[in-house]
Amino acid sequence: MKKLLALLLALCMVFALAACGEPAPAEKPAEGETAETAETTETTETTETTEAPVEITLWTYPIGNWGDEATVKALIDGFTAETGIVVKVEYLTYADGDDKVNTALTAKQAPDLIMEGPERLVTNWGVKGYMVDISDMFDDTDKAEINAAALAACYAPNGAAYEYPVVMTAHCMAINYTAFVEAGADQYIDLETHTWTTEQFFQAVQALYDYYGGTVGAIYCSGQGGDQGTRALINNLYGGTFTTADHTAYTWDDPLNIKALKALYDQDGIDFDPGINGGEEIANFYNGIFKMAFCWNIAQQLNPNSAGTGAGLTGSGDEIVFMAFPSEDGTAKLQGGIWGFGIFDNGDPAKIEAARTFIKYMCDSEHTADAVRASNFFAARSSAEGTDLSTVWADNEIMDEYTKILPMLGDYYQVTTNWPTARTAWWNMLQQVGTSDGSEEAIAAAVAEFCKQANTPAA
Amino acid sequence: MYKTMSPRLRRRENISGYMFLLPSLIFFLGFVVYPMIMCIWTSFTDANMDINTPTSFIGFANYKELWQDPVFLKGLRNTIIIVVVSVPVVCIFSLWVASAIYKMKEGPLSFFRIVFYLPVVTGSVAVTVVWKWMYNNYTGIFNYLLKNGGIIDKNINWLGDPKYALACIILILLTTSVGQPIVLYVSALSNVDHSLVEAAEVDGATNTQAFWRIKWPQIMPTTLYILIITTINSFQCFALIQLLTSGGPNYATETIMYYIYYTAFKLSRFGYGNAMGVILAIFIAILSAVQFRLAKEK
Repeated sequence: MKKLLALLLALCMVFALAACGEPAPAEKPAEGETAETAETTETTETTETTEAPVEITLWTYPIGNWGDEATVKALIDGFTAETGIVVKVEYLTYADGDDKVNTALTAKQAPDLIMEGPERLVTNWGVKGYMVDISDMFDDTDKAEINAAALAACYAPNGAAYEYPVVMTAHCMAINYTAFVEAGADQYIDLETHTWTTEQFFQAVQALYDYYGGTVGAIYCSGQGGDQGTRALINNLYGGTFTTADHTAYTWDDPLNIKALKALYDQDGIDFDPGINGGEEIANFYNGIFKMAFCWNIAQQLNPNSAGTGAGLTGSGDEIVFMAFPSEDGTAKLQGGIWGFGIFDNGDPAKIEAARTFIKYMCDSEHTADAVRASNFFAARSSAEGTDLSTVWADNEIMDEYTKILPMLGDYYQVTTNWPTARTAWWNMLQQVGTSDGSEEAIAAAVAEFCKQANTPAA
Repeated sequence: MYKTMSPRLRRRENISGYMFLLPSLIFFLGFVVYPMIMCIWTSFTDANMDINTPTSFIGFANYKELWQDPVFLKGLRNTIIIVVVSVPVVCIFSLWVASAIYKMKEGPLSFFRIVFYLPVVTGSVAVTVVWKWMYNNYTGIFNYLLKNGGIIDKNINWLGDPKYALACIILILLTTSVGQPIVLYVSALSNVDHSLVEAAEVDGATNTQAFWRIKWPQIMPTTLYILIITTINSFQCFALIQLLTSGGPNYATETIMYYIYYTAFKLSRFGYGNAMGVILAIFIAILSAVQFRLAKEK
């Protein structure tokens, strides 16, 4: 009896381990066969793939309502009904999404499709060899229709494209307009164009500080969340740069950036806060503690806050107005956000083909408008297969107003080599500046130290 | 009985024994031994996520780099501070609480056990979020109380100021670490042979003498266990750092565990991260051995 029990236990173990193992050999391509070579046998397998529905997995970061299950389900259902391809979706968060993907990649359990920006899809996973080159999906018409900056960001230095863009936006900042009016700081902003100069920005902060005291705005730096806001603010104030034009090196040690950091450090009402990140800054802004937020974009402007007072309002009902970052001449270079789809090379030609079909459906078809609306951002192309995408938001007053600042979209430098290290070095640099004595030498030393770190590739 | 068995029966018994052991053994080998070997092996390579560049054996290069890496050294220093502060405080505080409550009636005893054990069973994320609210620079209760009590004029940025950040982390760690030791000490003190204590008291021993001469030696195995567990937990402090400070400000709360995570998962430098893991394991092993040795001598 004991022996029988032991045998049973051992058998259970063996089956359990077998179940955790690799997929059945029939599902796997021959060893050494790459996705590209496997594709050549595609025609002979077509009958098979049309008979049994192909199932692919999509992992998506919370890009507007692409993080909302109900919205995504409606899009996916439409796709499945038209193509017969089944899509299983997993929703990632920015807090641990990268870890999940990296773990899946090392365990060879990566999804077939992923939705995010070129800084991850191209600069990280693409150049490391995990993604399928989809450059053949861009024909001349596509290249003409897609925003040039967005298109360029999808290509790696080796000429391969690892992302197909679907939406884009320009990140901006926001002000508590009601507080501005009360403090008399509204005289420093141009409400019509949503712009202001560097001088006007500092005058407004001073006016708000004189009226309310406390922290008017915070240079949040507890982590990388929302760091595009602090980068854009510091770069724009006096025209500093973040990287070289060809995206080969980081240039924070630009004296114009040091000048901006010094000016922010010295300004009453602006605090370097290593205790909060971008999300917490927004929460403090909604709660009326801060009178301006540097981590903002159209998605925040559209979404009702958690207090339920409505879109474009703080928790206490104050009016929120989005603004371009201040610059010396009032014309900012805004940080762009580009999002699209990429395909992980899982070695299965049928799934790769299904993933391409999905991308074509979402990014370049009459359904693209729905995919764009789901994101709360703007289409990355002017039209798709005859559908005019420039009018997707024509019926939305806020989105329409936001288009005023879109032409200020600046360089998409997030594709610069060593980006993950550079991001961490950036907020560490801000922490060091914030806890320094504020002298120009101390700020310059901090900037130089971390800029060097960003420019040093990991061993 | 085993000796009286026939060799055949003995062999059959052995096989049955091993078969019962097999499931656990497979998991132990697969999920503990194999990863440990891989960790040690990888620490001698430049393994990363780039599949275009094959992994190469680089000898002790990662280990050499560690000692020139200021962030690692700061993380090591902070980790040692956490261990040096939290281990004695947890042991002394939990022994003190246990001594005060172990003679209580069942009702009050259970109440105190629940109070101190609650942070242990509460999810670390929930605990951390609550602490983060309390530490909040703008609306936190600590600043509110201190400011209204006239103790401070200006809000303190508890987690954003290098002077306070590590102490704040240690305070949270202490509250989540004392629960189990208190329960263990209550149990150990209840099992002390009270006839010996009574005999000592009859002979004129003071409470302190009775404690150090009779109770302390008897609860020494529990103390040893608590010391080792608390040391390991303190060395492995990660969730708090990840959720509260990301190692900042200015690396003031950087720990080895957090730096391992950052290096391996954010920078994908698996070889370098594993080298740190090996160093951490060596530290924990040495410290545990010393604690064992000292406790054995006593």
